[in-house]
Amino acid sequence: MSPEPDTDTEADTGTGTTGTGTGTGTAAAPLLRIVGLVKRFGGFRALDGLSFHLKPGEILGLVGPNGSGKTTCINVISGLYRPDGGQILLDGRAIGGLPSHRLVHLGINRTFQVPKPFMTLTVRENVEVAAAYGRRRPGKTDIEALLHSLELDSHAKRPASELNSVQQKMLDLARALATAPRILLVDELAAGLNPAELERVGERLKALAAQNIALVVVEHLMGFIDQVTDRVIVCNAGRGIFAGPLSAAIRDRQVVEVFLGAEDDGGAA
Amino acid sequence: MPKALRHVLFTLVPVVVAFALLPSVYSNQLLLFNFVIYLALTQGFNIIYGFTGYLPFGYVGFFGAGAYGFALAVMHLHFPPLAALGVGAVAAVLLGLVLTPLLRLSGAYFAIANLAASQAVFLIVSNPNLTAITKGPYGISLSGVFSPGFTYGVAVAILAATLGLVIYLRNSRFGLALQAIREDAISAGMAGINVVLSRTIAWLLSALVAGLVGGVFAWYISVFYPETVFDLGVSIFAIVFALFGGTATILGPILGVIILYGIYNVIGISTPQYFQLIYGVLIVGLVLFLPEGLVSIFKRRGIDVP
Amino acid sequence: MIEYTLLAGLLFGLYFSLVGLGLNLIFGVMRIVNLAHGDFLMLGAFFAYWLFHLLGPNPLISLFLAFLLFALIAYPLYFLLVPRLLSARDPEMLSIILFFGLSQVLEALAVIGFGTSERSLPGQLLGHGPVQILGQNFPAAWATSGIASALAVVFVYFYLYRTRLGYLTRAVMVHHEEAVSTGINVHRVSAIAFGIGLALAAVAGVFAPFMLGSITPAMGIDITITSFAVIVVGSLGNPLGTVLGGIIYGISLMMMQTYLSSWANLLPYLLLIGILLVRPSGLLGRQVRRA
Repeated sequence: MSPEPDTDTEADTGTGTTGTGTGTGTAAAPLLRIVGLVKRFGGFRALDGLSFHLKPGEILGLVGPNGSGKTTCINVISGLYRPDGGQILLDGRAIGGLPSHRLVHLGINRTFQVPKPFMTLTVRENVEVAAAYGRRRPGKTDIEALLHSLELDSHAKRPASELNSVQQKMLDLARALATAPRILLVDELAAGLNPAELERVGERLKALAAQNIALVVVEHLMGFIDQVTDRVIVCNAGRGIFAGPLSAAIRDRQVVEVFLGAEDDGGAA
Repeated sequence: MPKALRHVLFTLVPVVVAFALLPSVYSNQLLLFNFVIYLALTQGFNIIYGFTGYLPFGYVGFFGAGAYGFALAVMHLHFPPLAALGVGAVAAVLLGLVLTPLLRLSGAYFAIANLAASQAVFLIVSNPNLTAITKGPYGISLSGVFSPGFTYGVAVAILAATLGLVIYLRNSRFGLALQAIREDAISAGMAGINVVLSRTIAWLLSALVAGLVGGVFAWYISVFYPETVFDLGVSIFAIVFALFGGTATILGPILGVIILYGIYNVIGISTPQYFQLIYGVLIVGLVLFLPEGLVSIFKRRGIDVP
Repeated sequence: MIEYTLLAGLLFGLYFSLVGLGLNLIFGVMRIVNLAHGDFLMLGAFFAYWLFHLLGPNPLISLFLAFLLFALIAYPLYFLLVPRLLSARDPEMLSIILFFGLSQVLEALAVIGFGTSERSLPGQLLGHGPVQILGQNFPAAWATSGIASALAVVFVYFYLYRTRLGYLTRAVMVHHEEAVSTGINVHRVSAIAFGIGLALAAVAGVFAPFMLGSITPAMGIDITITSFAVIVVGSLGNPLGTVLGGIIYGISLMMMQTYLSSWANLLPYLLLIGILLVRPSGLLGRQVRRA
């Protein structure tokens, strides 16, 4: 891992990096490198040569129309699907096709668009089991603090089935964080949250990045993407068509074409 | 762990002591033996269904494998009974290993495939072509090792070990991991749990319990037919007893056996069809109105059920 | 010999398609496992047997009566059991247990009503003398059962693909949640499918004395497993798939009985396990969830 404090990187990208994201010229070496990733479902290529990289402490947005491969990308990186081609390199080591629990132990975790917490277990047990099995090296997860930070502490002893959908999303995030990930893949966490909750979740994600965790955020709400990400990859038909800050993306002719129509939704939200 | 100790003191100790002492005050040892058998089998079923969520309709296959493993070891290898019991256990675990690929199936598919597997094993064991090895449909006689008093003690010991195992699962991280898999295997994987390995261990432990119980059953009755030890009714009893009491607990399956098997012995033997009718209605009612079992009545009141 | 085996397999295959059809329809529409399927078939068989001794009509009349009666019983039975079941946490799993309980009730009722002894009907009821098909002689009962089974499959096909209710039924099969949200009366559609499913089981039961030999109250569970083998080999939720499964099953059974008779009874079980393991993704109803 890079010893470089990442607040510098954040400040850099915050002011707007020029270029198209192929070389941002910062000190941190990429933690995760995706090279020409391919995933097929029958004849359909959900991922068709997607490439990007991710540095510690960075928040990368994955945006694009429905079916452009964003969630598939997260599913492949987190071991739900085996890649059909290309490479996933963590610290330069190929990890494509490893089972989920191995990836978790290597420091990769994720949240789910539709969270499926362990319903009959208590909120606390949900987090405990992840802390017990998911940590890559021995250490202690402060479960109380984690539950507190996600406003779940008052529900700790209740079964997860009694939580509302936003609380279940937070529990899913708590499950992921309990494993002390280096890379966190966030799949549509913002959907269904009210503006105040959105604001808090955004700050929360930024705080994680400040702790040197690298984040990939898949999201439809452009306002949220704008709030949290340093850089975005615009996906279309399983490929990246743009890499760089969102402010530059919306001026890119190809991106605008792909998003024609979808743009308004993003603006309104 | 004080909670685990409490579970040992309040469930394992009273059950085991009661069944160890009962033969000296109650003369129908066969009936007591059958209670012990079902108490252990129901807990073995609890391991794979209650904790891991797989419904093994063919659970009796392991029981039968244990019984035949025991019998073949005694007949052909002339093993002493305790060693033959080990062979029975190994036979059941081996069958479990062979059937491990079934764990890839979910829900109803697993249940049906497992049922088919146990029937297939039954048809193979009872096939007249294999009479030289298994005695085919003509049944087994092991009168040489018949020793009910000692065998009853062995059965109680197996029950104690099984209860100990379930108490461990109820109070350990591994038990929690199994329940996580039951709730959602994908989320469990993302909690760092090795899903395939964990559920295979639970499956084999469950097979081991049934194999030991089948072996001790063969030893105790010493004369039996393939239909006796591959009777689908054995699976069904174990499933219904466990569900009636409440799975993924220690107390639930115990309550289920004591109450339902008790009723069975009062009315089921004289008029089986009426018992079957009541049983069927009870199962339907249970699923519709109390799908989490008897213990859920206490749980809803916030009482911690062992 | 081989021609005879193949043709007999085809006739039995058509019959086994009918045996599996009702189970497939119910699973496809409701995603519940009717483990009492074989027991409904058994009741249909006893119904035909009882009618024959009471009135002495041809079993083909019993067929229509059985269809009507079982459909009428099934409709309220649906509302008694299924909506509550579907609201539970894991309906598919619980349905296995619920319908197992129901199968116990049905078997017990059959024992109380008819006793445990084996019953059979004379094969001549379905026509006299052997029937010649492509130079091979078959009992008339086999031919009649095969043809009637084929007609039943055609009936289900027409229902699903040529009627409005059938269209709605298919909509519920493919997109359950969406069907609910678009205002389809899912329970009514499902109840009718449930009725047809049980009625088809009963119709298959009417032919059981001729195709499966004698009938007993305990025959249900074996029939249920055979039905599962048939619909798993075919494809779930698709009546034409059931025909494929039935024919593959019928021909394999006849081949086993001709050339390997002492192991023939293993066939449904091995076929079932084999197909489930070799092609689980194609046959599994439950796909990997969309994360």
